[in-house]
Amino acid sequence: MANETSKPKKNPLPYLLVFPTVVFVALFTAWPVLLSFYQSFFRQRMNIAKYREPSFIGFGNYIELFEDPYFIEVIKNTLYYIIGTVPISIFLALFFAIMVNRKIRNVGWLRLAFFHPMVLPMVSAATIWLFFFTPNYGLFNSTLRFLGYSGAENWTGNPDLALLAVIIVAVWKNSGYYMIFYLAGIQNLPDDVYEAAALDGATGWQTLWKITFPLLRRTTVFITIIAFIDAFRTIDHIFVLTSGGPSRSSSVLLFTLWQERFENQDIGISAAITIIFVLVLLAFTITNFVMSENKEA
Amino acid sequence: MRTKKVFLVLMALLLIIGLGACSPAAEPAPEEESAPVEEAAPVEEAAPAEEEAAPVEEEEEAPAEEMAEPVTFQVFYPVAVDAPIAEILNEYIEDFQAEYPHITVEPVFSGGYGDVQTAIQTTIDGGGTPPALAVMLATALYDLNNAGYISPLDSYVAGMEDGDAYIADFLPVFLDNSYAYDELWSIPFQRSATVMYYNMDMFAEAGLDAPTNWETWATAAQTLTTKDGDATNWGLQYPSGWPYWLFQPLAIGAGQNILDDDCTVVFDNPAVIEAVQFYIDLSGEYEAMPAGVQGIWGTAPTDFSSGSTAMIIHSSGSLKGIIEQADFEVGLMGLPGKEDGSISAVPGGGNFYIMSGAPQAEQDAAWLFVEFLTQPKYIADYSINTGYVASTSSSYETEEMLAHTAEVPQALSARDALQQGGAELATQNLGAVRGIFHDYLQRAYNGEMTADEAMAAAQVEADAALVDFCE
Repeated sequence: MANETSKPKKNPLPYLLVFPTVVFVALFTAWPVLLSFYQSFFRQRMNIAKYREPSFIGFGNYIELFEDPYFIEVIKNTLYYIIGTVPISIFLALFFAIMVNRKIRNVGWLRLAFFHPMVLPMVSAATIWLFFFTPNYGLFNSTLRFLGYSGAENWTGNPDLALLAVIIVAVWKNSGYYMIFYLAGIQNLPDDVYEAAALDGATGWQTLWKITFPLLRRTTVFITIIAFIDAFRTIDHIFVLTSGGPSRSSSVLLFTLWQERFENQDIGISAAITIIFVLVLLAFTITNFVMSENKEA
Repeated sequence: MRTKKVFLVLMALLLIIGLGACSPAAEPAPEEESAPVEEAAPVEEAAPAEEEAAPVEEEEEAPAEEMAEPVTFQVFYPVAVDAPIAEILNEYIEDFQAEYPHITVEPVFSGGYGDVQTAIQTTIDGGGTPPALAVMLATALYDLNNAGYISPLDSYVAGMEDGDAYIADFLPVFLDNSYAYDELWSIPFQRSATVMYYNMDMFAEAGLDAPTNWETWATAAQTLTTKDGDATNWGLQYPSGWPYWLFQPLAIGAGQNILDDDCTVVFDNPAVIEAVQFYIDLSGEYEAMPAGVQGIWGTAPTDFSSGSTAMIIHSSGSLKGIIEQADFEVGLMGLPGKEDGSISAVPGGGNFYIMSGAPQAEQDAAWLFVEFLTQPKYIADYSINTGYVASTSSSYETEEMLAHTAEVPQALSARDALQQGGAELATQNLGAVRGIFHDYLQRAYNGEMTADEAMAAAQVEADAALVDFCE
């Protein structure tokens, strides 16, 4: 064994094959991140003459951000947004997948129904939801009222509801998409395990809890990661539904990043937010991987 | 083991590429960015610049062969409104090119105002050449200017046969957002106004006259609010999802606009606070409109033209759609002011900006295009076909416009309302200042703070946001 590996034949093909990808990743991912990292230590604002040229300020941008109560609120909003979207979308995705995995008539239509929000562009979806949310006669409010709800109806204008409104749209939009992964995962599960479980007299609930769910763990890890990244990444609907308001109550991290970079033209601050962003995502992805790999062993 | 080694090699490779790209670019970056724009311009473009100036000053010395030097320039144009903007513009471009065969105009239609500005910012910041001409928000003036993105237009106007008359022809309120640092930076083109639409039939049925002050306005809205089972037909719908623009007429109507100049905002003035309170009272005291922040920009025109709401505050740009859909007499006026007989409106919309980063020849050609499009004929035509407010006085005298306003007199009401209007909020550090104002105005609307507290806090924060810009 040792002798064989100590003199490996140099085969350039694998390197050649990954080369284009490496170049792309380096150019469009690694390089911008490095550049942002560099810029985040400089004060540079394009809309003010004296700060147009970058000047080194160390951790100044980071300190300014974490001393800004508005930014802290944005972090809080982002956390609520993640907590509100990720677990619920994943749960719904699994639920939908199990529903449409059964042999029922016209299951294709059911799958399509669950999946179709994914096909719509987010801006169109949000525009449709804006009408659903309309106070007085909007479909969403009419339905809620029919179900006995008599609370506030001004979903996009009420500071207590605005964030919830954008969460609802995100969950509606993404659950069907994640369902596809679960569906694929379920259909690839080995039949013999289920046969054995049936022979042992396992109930449906036991089968789901003790067999399906653990076997789908890798799928769940994968979906958790993309759901988490989606939660950071998807903001199109916020522009349409609330513009981050009222009074910034539905502003999340990426929305703020956009505002800082393109409305306030603050390159230093937006670079610092980018780095915070990348670090959080990186930390989450790595922990998630490590945890799932440990369980595997 | 093996995969780990490969991974390490790849990482190393990545780092090397990253560092390699990093070291040369890192240091000269600041110079590099500004250099090509400023340096290249005089050296390379000086020659064609003079040649292209020729058509403007034809009488002096305009050798025919120099005029024929072909130029192509791009114009970025926002299209996110309910009108076939691209179609209309393309027709104008054809006319222009017929008159100036050596110039080719390449229109780029994309998104809204914000998208156009973002596209141009990223192009310039990335070291690229911007389009020579763009239509962007009139209020973007200071941001664009401070970043050095735009060229002053005074020399072009001075070069015109009668430049003073050309400028004097624009409605003064539109030009308010065109001057900074005593120079002219933009030409009004695609302009609108905040106005009030009211259902004249409903008013007549209820025996009401058009409101003339806050008191008659609020009571009219109260009278016209009716319950219809579960739903309420509101007397007034007043959007406030993106509020500063729609709020400004109220403040002006109370006697104080929310800004004095680009460095001075006036949020905590008693008149402004009174205006905030009036908005709150319309729902709280008069129960004439729904309470709180209203994200109803999209639905308000439909609610109005379907007859379920008696009055809405909206853009003059919605006039065409509303008239087409409504089966009643549509009234249009400025927002009633506090004192009897006063009305007010605030201009909105976009202006032509010439980008300083474009080659001089292209900038000169772009100016010719601006001059061409601001002839009375085209301004009138554009207003008739899109619903935007025609920006020059002379355009209202054209035959087409006279015929149009005879049929749609409301178009004149929008202009008249603007005669008594004030400048739209355009300050230094606009994104931040506007954000602060929105934040606190909405807190007041939603009852989280009193009008007093909210405006005082907004003033403090906005002053702080302006310090760096206005020392």
